[in-house]
Order: sequence, then structure tokens, then C-alpha cells
Amino acid sequence: MTGIYTALFGAEFASYYNDSLLSYAMAAFLGLIVIHFFSASTTQALTSIVSNGTLLNKIKLPLSIFPVGIVTANTVQFTTGVLPLVLFLTLLKSGSWVNMCMVILPFIALIIICLGIALIVSGLYVFFRDLQYFYELITFSLWISSPVFYPPDIVPEAIQPFLKFNPLFIIIDSIRQIVFSSHVPYWSVVFSSFSTALLILAIGLACFHCWKTQYMDLL
Amino acid sequence: MITLNQVSLWRRTQEELTYDLKKTILSLLEGRYHRPVKHRILNDINLSILTGEKIGIIGANGSGKSTLLKVIVGILEPTLGSVKTHGRIAPLIELGAGFVGDLSVVNNILTYGVFLGVPLSTMRQRVSAILEFAELEAYAKTPVKALSSGMTARLGFAIATDVQPDILILDEVLSVGDERFKAKCQQRMQKLWQTQTTVVVVSHQMEFIQAACDRVIWLHQGQIQQVGPAQSVIEAYLATAREQQRYALN
Repeated sequence: MTGIYTALFGAEFASYYNDSLLSYAMAAFLGLIVIHFFSASTTQALTSIVSNGTLLNKIKLPLSIFPVGIVTANTVQFTTGVLPLVLFLTLLKSGSWVNMCMVILPFIALIIICLGIALIVSGLYVFFRDLQYFYELITFSLWISSPVFYPPDIVPEAIQPFLKFNPLFIIIDSIRQIVFSSHVPYWSVVFSSFSTALLILAIGLACFHCWKTQYMDLL
Repeated sequence: MITLNQVSLWRRTQEELTYDLKKTILSLLEGRYHRPVKHRILNDINLSILTGEKIGIIGANGSGKSTLLKVIVGILEPTLGSVKTHGRIAPLIELGAGFVGDLSVVNNILTYGVFLGVPLSTMRQRVSAILEFAELEAYAKTPVKALSSGMTARLGFAIATDVQPDILILDEVLSVGDERFKAKCQQRMQKLWQTQTTVVVVSHQMEFIQAACDRVIWLHQGQIQQVGPAQSVIEAYLATAREQQRYALN
């Protein structure tokens, strides 16, 4: 995917990344990691409660274990697969050990966001079994409105504030800042990504808890 | 020890379910949306079961027997009233459900045991005994979906009775496997029966209930119709059933 984007848009957008094709490729790669992790973990979590309905009808289990388990599995996959590469790239690019350690922070915020969303969608799916198709649409629009393969600067200024409502935008932005800048990460970006993440998790927990009593009637 | 105190339960019935976001939004727009209707499945149930007691639950289809078991296990929370249980509960509702088809038999035994609240290390030690009882040693590495339904049922029975629960919940599960395995199950059940395990069993086999249970509960439309010694309750239940049949014939 990174190769395709670089081939298609690399020449055009490289000017935003110090005229370096490699930098563009890395920026696209970092964006893709985030968006893939998000859509994979939440889409899998979506059906997790319903597909375990027979089990839940048989044994008493905490319901939240299924979406949380899916996100955890994806996290393990991520830390053993892509994370070492990301750490290496960060060290290479920024040349600073501090940045290499710091780059983990936005990913932690991403995991928290995924947990919150996973709780919401897995709960909603119990009520609405056609949510899958709507959710595909939602993840696609999140993906297209995140600066994955385009630099955020090309978006018209009037629209740019709206992009900030996309939680993945903040995550991708802060990861790129940490990777590409050689000085200490912008704490304000890290802070805002964490506060967004925790807000989403809180909403997720609240929704899940509110709906919990009705789940068993529908499984 | 199980105590149910004035338990009532309202549930949405299955045919009420829409399961559909598109339809729900459309009906909201058209103003035809109504809140899902709930029906009373259990009605003011008071019950206390002592440790070691063997309890049978009988009643017509749809009288709330399985629902009552689910409330005892804690899967469903009562709308009103309270449920108190002491000790580890091993439920045996709808045998075979809860296995993951793609996992091997051994891994399924481990996960199932953990679901029932047994530590993983203990389950590891018991795997061979469970396989032996279920007569599935040769299938240890096979995925569960490749087993026949009888084998799956045997596996479920073997696990649930092996974890030595304090409370065992049985829902129409004693017709497991072939005749030979049935005899084996009955032996194990008898062993369980002699220990201090509390057993709650739902069955339509009156002879079995009469032979095995100290006390019988007769549920009728979500209410306790009668509680008492096995023989008298079963007689009353059968008499009513015959009465209804005669009434229907006329």
C-alpha cells in the first residue's frame, strides 16, 4: 500500500516533506499503520459479542471481555509485528532516543480510542445487525478524512478545523511530529491525543454499561 | 446454597426484535416507532435450595424452566428481587454450545474450564482424565467442528462434571450419546449425587426426576405452582396434563 501511494502521489506531495520521496513514503506508512490498526480491531470487535451469544447464554461471563480481548489481540499482533519497525524508523529519522521512546505514547492513545469505539460498536451491533455495512462506511470516511496519503496542509483552511474532530487525525499528526522532528515532542499534541482518547473510552464505557442489561434478551 | 427472593423477570420476546438499524430509523421518521414490549417470564419466585439438595424442575414448554436456570446461574439478572448463590456453579445448559469449532479438543477443554472458573494449571492436569472419560483420546488434536454431535455432547458432559462444581445445573442433558455412554454418565451422576453437590435439573423424563430428586418444583407460566416431595408434585403435574388433554379432546 505504501508503495502504491508513493508511486501515485509521491511526486506531487513530496514538496511538503522536504522534497524527499522517502519521507513521503514514511509519512504514508505511519498513517496506514494507524488507520489499519483502528479499522481491523474495531471491525473485528463489532461482531464479537453477538458471535459469542451462545456461550454467553450458557456461562456467566463479563460481557466486555470480548471486545477488550479483540483489541488486546490486535495490540499484541501490533507490538510484535510493526512496532519494532516504527521504533527503528523513528530512531533513524529523528536521531534521538527520547523520540524513539516517545513515539509509543500516541500508539497507546490509539489503543485507548480503539477500546472505546470497540465497546460502543460491539454493543450497538447487538441491537442493529445491519450495522456492519454502516460501519464500513464510517471507517472509510474516517480513513479518507485522515491525512494518510495526503499532507494535512492541502486541505482548505476553512475545512481544517473540522478535521480535528477526527480522533485519528490527532494521533497520526502527533506520530509524524515525533518521528520527523529532531527536537523534543510537542507535549500539547500528545496531551490532546490522550485527552481525546480517554474521553472516547469514557463514552464507550458509559454506553456499554447503560445497554448491558438489555443485551441478554437479544442474544 | 441458592436463595431466590421474590424474583420476577421481564424480557423482550424474540419475535419483537427488529435487529435492523435501517428499519428502526425509518419507523422513527414515520413516527411508528414503539418501545419494545416486554413480557413477564418469571413471576414472584421465592425459593431456597440447601447445600447438597437435588432439585428437579418440571413444567410445560415455555413455562420458564430454562429461564429460571439462567437466573440462578447469573446469566440473566432479575428485574425485581434478588438471587444469592454460594460456591462454584457449573452450568450444563444446551450441551455443546460454547465450544470454539476451530480449536482443538484439548484447547477447548482448557478454555471451557477457564470459563467455568477453574485455573488454567489445574485444567492442564485434568485434560487427560477428561479425554479418557469422553473416550476422545484419539481426537485430542482434532478441531471440535470435526467431531460428531454425540462426541461434542460427551465432551461437554465430561468437562462440566469433572470440574467438581458446588452447584451443578442440568438442562435436559441426560440423553447424551449411545446406550453404553449413557450408563457411564449415570454412574458418574450417581457419584455426584452422593457428594455434597447441589444439583438443579430440568427434565421431561418424570421417572428420572422421581428417582433422582429430593424436591420438585412445578413451574406454570412463570410461577411456582407447587413445591414438594418428588412423587406428589409429579402426580399432580401429570394429573393436570391429563386433564388438559381430555379437555382438548372433548
